[in-house]
Amino acid sequence: MAAAGRGAEWLLPAGRRDWVAALWAEAHEVPPGLRRLAWRAGGVWVLAREALLPRRLGRAALFAVAASAAAWAAWPQPGVGHVAEGRFNAIAAVLLVVLLPLLARRFFGPVSSGRIGRSLRVLCYAAILALLAAWTFLMVFSSLLPVKPAYQRIFCNDRCTGVPGRSSGGPTWQAEILIMLLILGYVGVTLFLTSRRPQVTRGTLAIGTGTGLLFGVVMFAVDPLGLSNVTTNPWLPGSTADPLVALAWILLFGGPAAAAVLAGRRCRGPDGARLPYNARIGQGIAAGVLASGLAAMFTTVLGTATTVLMLKSPWLLHWLNHGRRMTGFVTYRYELYTVNHTGAYVLMLMSFPVIGLFMSSLAAAIANPAPCHPPVRSSAPGLPITSGE
Amino acid sequence: MTSRPEFSAQTLSVLAALCDQPSQWQHGYALAKQTGLKSGTLYPILIRLADRGLVEACWQDEPTPGRPRRHLYRLTSAGLASATGALASAAERAAEQAAAPRAGAGKPRAGVRPGPAARGAVAGMTS
Repeated sequence: MAAAGRGAEWLLPAGRRDWVAALWAEAHEVPPGLRRLAWRAGGVWVLAREALLPRRLGRAALFAVAASAAAWAAWPQPGVGHVAEGRFNAIAAVLLVVLLPLLARRFFGPVSSGRIGRSLRVLCYAAILALLAAWTFLMVFSSLLPVKPAYQRIFCNDRCTGVPGRSSGGPTWQAEILIMLLILGYVGVTLFLTSRRPQVTRGTLAIGTGTGLLFGVVMFAVDPLGLSNVTTNPWLPGSTADPLVALAWILLFGGPAAAAVLAGRRCRGPDGARLPYNARIGQGIAAGVLASGLAAMFTTVLGTATTVLMLKSPWLLHWLNHGRRMTGFVTYRYELYTVNHTGAYVLMLMSFPVIGLFMSSLAAAIANPAPCHPPVRSSAPGLPITSGE
Repeated sequence: MTSRPEFSAQTLSVLAALCDQPSQWQHGYALAKQTGLKSGTLYPILIRLADRGLVEACWQDEPTPGRPRRHLYRLTSAGLASATGALASAAERAAEQAAAPRAGAGKPRAGVRPGPAARGAVAGMTS
């Protein structure tokens, strides 16, 4: 172990090598056996910790690159309307994503231990940055004036002004504020649930994530609740009678409720003891909100990405519409429809967490009846109040 | 509202151990025995204290035959001042918490347990 440790010292910055060498040297003073082994194991830990520290800087740099790329993609192009709104969108969104973690650390504490909390945060940031660029692209596309005069007559009516082939407008102030509120809500809730102080257990996060991913996959497959017949995945019938659509509706209301019940029953404290009443309710609501929010975000990211890719790559459009004769007119109509259809994702992002909150609160309250006895204060000074169950 | 302490309980225990004989150089293993900390906890603390200029380190001049040279540590003058202040503040906090046990203020935070050296130093200051 010592030889391997000395061999791995090159991983460390120059100023740290002495310290690890000192630790290895000191091992000769430790009594042989388990104690010396434990001392050397500590050395391996220090080596790993000090070697990985620069990776934090690497992660920060990676985040800066991703945020810059998103801001660049969302930055208004010349010839597109609503330039001020576009610039506000690009700058404010990146600032929100950068500053909210710092605020969350101040008020909610550092990220909770375990991989799932960190993974949820990374996925949330990645989703927000990707959506930022995609939404701008789609909003500009939706106001793109068709080149063919016939299309202008059919699709624009009297509203068509400007130069054909150019966009008459990017996102408006109303759209920008809505986007900012959504980013604020999703990033804020994710940071809260994955911080140490709210004490959401790893089990709760796992249950919420699992339910949310299942719900998201089904929802993306039916493309919001099967309410439209022309969707980004037209091989499905898309009717309300489709079994998959029925499953999506069941998961919309039943998913958060099931997650809430499961989290309240399964989650245990660090000592393995059953959580008190209030904590069970809290864990249940956290799992339900996480499940519905994650499902909405998952569906939105996949659905929006499919739409953007379809506009960028005609082969995807033809592949998705296999078996249909895609003339220029049909293609343009289909593109316009799918772009406008992405508004449904925004509705999902707004409504699903509210439904999740309601259903999980209801389910958690039903599954965890309030204790019959009033709370009893323990006679020992300094101990917390027990639930009396 | 009380301000957040500058050092963790583990760091305080290391500072207390180094404060015992501030002019003497001390070895890592001796510090570990005094504080009850594992090597994986002790050395990162020493590294941070050295980065902040509170601890100075050097290699032993004349090693024991057959043994590698040892790394030695002691507080700098800034470190001594800082450690004395921090230990005094910790002692005051401990005294306040002992005076108000019903409010739950005396309950240590989960996962933070003062080491024997810090407990000894704080007890010495409160007595």
